[in-house]
Amino acid sequence: MDEQSLPNFDKALMTTLQEVAGAGIHNAARGFSNLVGHQISVNQPQVKVVPLLEIPRHVGGLENEAIGIYLRAEGDISVQIMLIIPYAKALLLVDLLMDVAPGTTTQLGSLERSALGEVGNMTASFFMNAVANMTGTSVRPTPPAVMVDMVGAILDIIIATSGSISENVILMQANFADGERSLATDFWVIPDALTLKLFKSTEDSARNE
Amino acid sequence: MNDPINVSLGERVISNDPNDILVAYGLGSCLGISMVEPTRRWCGMIHCVLPQRNNGTEVDSPKFVDSGIEGLLKEMVKRGCDPHRLVIRMAGGANMLLASGVSTTFDIGTRNIESALNTFQRLGLNLKAKEVGGNLGRTVRLYVADARMTVRILNGKELEL
Repeated sequence: MDEQSLPNFDKALMTTLQEVAGAGIHNAARGFSNLVGHQISVNQPQVKVVPLLEIPRHVGGLENEAIGIYLRAEGDISVQIMLIIPYAKALLLVDLLMDVAPGTTTQLGSLERSALGEVGNMTASFFMNAVANMTGTSVRPTPPAVMVDMVGAILDIIIATSGSISENVILMQANFADGERSLATDFWVIPDALTLKLFKSTEDSARNE
Repeated sequence: MNDPINVSLGERVISNDPNDILVAYGLGSCLGISMVEPTRRWCGMIHCVLPQRNNGTEVDSPKFVDSGIEGLLKEMVKRGCDPHRLVIRMAGGANMLLASGVSTTFDIGTRNIESALNTFQRLGLNLKAKEVGGNLGRTVRLYVADARMTVRILNGKELEL
């Protein structure tokens, strides 16, 4: 990765984020297992920093149909979390969560939407808990908003609230697995400048100890 | 026909090539604003993200609704277009979180629409048509050949504005 172009994300910070993401997603997988009553495992998530405007390339283009699950974390730090899942993949995720054969879910009614909202809720909560533990801060996520729309329109939420189109965001890729079935999902975490600073100071004090 | 030209976030595209189609894909709270001068056949589109520029900086920047409209108007006039003959249309400005009940404080879509209407009034421009608000994303196309502007929502047909 070209660190020159990403002044806010140095290698040490990336290591910290990788740890936070790893802890958060493993907790989330435990939460999902409890929710659905069968074991769902998750691999070590990959963490990358990518420009905001690259998101559409990962989810199939600006006009592509996708599910957006959006939460904000409020408290000592402020983070936006967005899960963007291509529509077809979201249906498979619902199948996985509901423990039915792949292809069973063909549309997203209110039950399916709330299941997806729960995915966002849990992922965000566990991620935020990991952040809180690591930084000694207190944060809580807002209830999730679930929407089905074009990728571009979903992205506008992040762009409008962060007020910037040149920003870099954190991409976490995790693979949820239930026996032989597995599903790769992408999460986007958009921390504000203050939060990044906090991550940085945590990582600095860890280095000095 | 040329490949469609993507009018990306915070961009302005102006063309008089009849083979061109200007497209802003998946507008959520963003606004797609177009100006067409029928006699000279110049077509321009901006894809605005936020309602207002920051205190006078970023003059004419298409990233903001107010400076974007001013900038597009200036560029059209520079090409010999008569401001009074401009056909102006806009689409977008949805409140993407409307249905969720998360929050209305971040309703950038509505603020973008208000900013556009204020700017049109201030500059003495007439808006011919609009397809704004609601809570669905839209793709907007402007065909330079016949100055048609269309709006399409997810799984929907292209409808003329």
